[in-house]
Amino acid sequence: MRKIQPKSEPVIEGYVGEYASGKSENAVNRALSLVKQGRKVTLADLDIVEPFYTLRPIKSELESLGLNVLAWETKDTFGLGEAGTLLRPEIRWVLKRDGDIILDIGYGVEGAKTLNLLEGVKDNPYLKIIAVINISRPLTHTVDDIVEYVASLGRVDALLNNTHLGEETTVQVIQEGAKVVSEAAKRLGLEMICTSAEERFKPELGDKDIMGNPIKYLRRFMPQTFW
Amino acid sequence: MAEKPIVGERKAFMTGNEVTAWAALAAGADIMYGYPITPQTEIMQYWARMAPKFGKTFLQTEDEISAGFATVGGVLAGKRAFTATAGPGNTLMQEAMSMAEMMRIPTVMIVCQRGGPSTATVIYSQQEVTMTCFGGNGEGFRIVYSPSGHQDVFDYTIKAFNTAWKYRFPTFVLSDGYQAKMRESLTIYDPEIRGIKMVPTEAYVGKPGTPGVDREPSLFRNTYNMEEELYEVLMNIKQEYDRVAPEIVEYKEMYTEDAEIVVVAHGVVSRAVEGAVTALREKGIKVGFFRPITLRPFPGQQLKELAGRVKQLLVVESALGQLDKLVKQEIYGVTTPIANYFRPGEGITVEEVIEQVHKLV
Repeated sequence: MRKIQPKSEPVIEGYVGEYASGKSENAVNRALSLVKQGRKVTLADLDIVEPFYTLRPIKSELESLGLNVLAWETKDTFGLGEAGTLLRPEIRWVLKRDGDIILDIGYGVEGAKTLNLLEGVKDNPYLKIIAVINISRPLTHTVDDIVEYVASLGRVDALLNNTHLGEETTVQVIQEGAKVVSEAAKRLGLEMICTSAEERFKPELGDKDIMGNPIKYLRRFMPQTFW
Repeated sequence: MAEKPIVGERKAFMTGNEVTAWAALAAGADIMYGYPITPQTEIMQYWARMAPKFGKTFLQTEDEISAGFATVGGVLAGKRAFTATAGPGNTLMQEAMSMAEMMRIPTVMIVCQRGGPSTATVIYSQQEVTMTCFGGNGEGFRIVYSPSGHQDVFDYTIKAFNTAWKYRFPTFVLSDGYQAKMRESLTIYDPEIRGIKMVPTEAYVGKPGTPGVDREPSLFRNTYNMEEELYEVLMNIKQEYDRVAPEIVEYKEMYTEDAEIVVVAHGVVSRAVEGAVTALREKGIKVGFFRPITLRPFPGQQLKELAGRVKQLLVVESALGQLDKLVKQEIYGVTTPIANYFRPGEGITVEEVIEQVHKLV
């Protein structure tokens, strides 16, 4: 008789957030950290508003790092330009795949609605939707702003603090974000998943932010992309 | 109703299109008229999302011809009105902007340049310089600011409303696809705390009282029957434009005192040039940098004086010589050689500028 191996639970996460909140950067880094643990990971680009400018330029680099990337390529989209608001058929069925699945969900409120196009989204027991928040962005600056914004996104299961000011980021900026986002998570009754920060802050910040949340360090990929 | 959109000042991290929407709010703009086009669309989206919170309004028109004329109409009604567009949309708005030129209507228009001619790319270029400065069947009685990054986009969008309403010429912020979409930090502020007072607006039409009895009649024309009549009106506009131009002109220069080569660039390209010139100076190369911030009116006198005392000029732009044309027209008579580096519809990096300067050393 063949013994059935108990399958480990897959990590299935979707990253949503304001335009330029850092959701793609966090999605890519999360996917790669899972690859490093020896897991099989699929990263799917769900941006159907500007599908040809997001993960496309770094697709082959990510694949060379061991990720399975579902995103458009230039040769597939020749002539479509910005007019091609298409969902790749394989992305529609992505939740049926084995292994871990990381979804980079298109920007803003409209982007979050794209999630509903995926087959099995309602009954997937592992799916966790994470809203990426940077309090340096005026629309998510205060606890009230974040509460109002997250309410507009539809389903959200957890918050992630990705507060920064680009090259002007300081440890204080990140810690202030940790306080505000943690408070917003508390008000919303959501899990506060972590703080993310660029690797250069590791010596100063260590493993946990001021609120005791774990810190995940980011390697920057998105500067190589268009938008 | 929420209070002021920005209280005091603070650091923020945004895309350029959001910066524009926040700047217009901070400037107390009343209404935006617009039609979607990449890479401008998020200006509309953010304005439409935030404006109602501050009692401001938005109208999406059926196309850019309409958006341009609706902006003229909004201003005639005394509203601090603006629009934003790009590429082919800019083309369509030129008719309304010509009307604004002729009738001295202080419209404000943000242009996010994209590749051309025609639809071309949705990404980036500096190919709308000629059209924005001289478009339509007019004489270029306009004011055009060319920002180089998010802080500029914020500062000059606020300033554009004041320049327009103070001098009553259509005013443009000539940004581009890169500045629209890139993300960087900047300081956003309530203009009042910086001592910036917004120039009050007033209705051109629909004023109280009986025209001719209680007040002078308002007569705004863009149609003239006689050649002489038109000539007189145009020469009056020209005289007024020339009179105020020196007050409006803005530029930036760096390392020009002892420079032998001067690189001329505007907009986001000027940042690559600034980086290149700084790096080249560290190696002892006598190179300087000149950036017109206003493309109309152009800081011609200042550039001419500088060009006359250097050995070589280099014009760098993401177009096939649209800035170059302005430069040559303004410094006519100076015999300093002018080299160029033209990349129509493509970005320009620090390394590329360094390489071009090395060719001239």
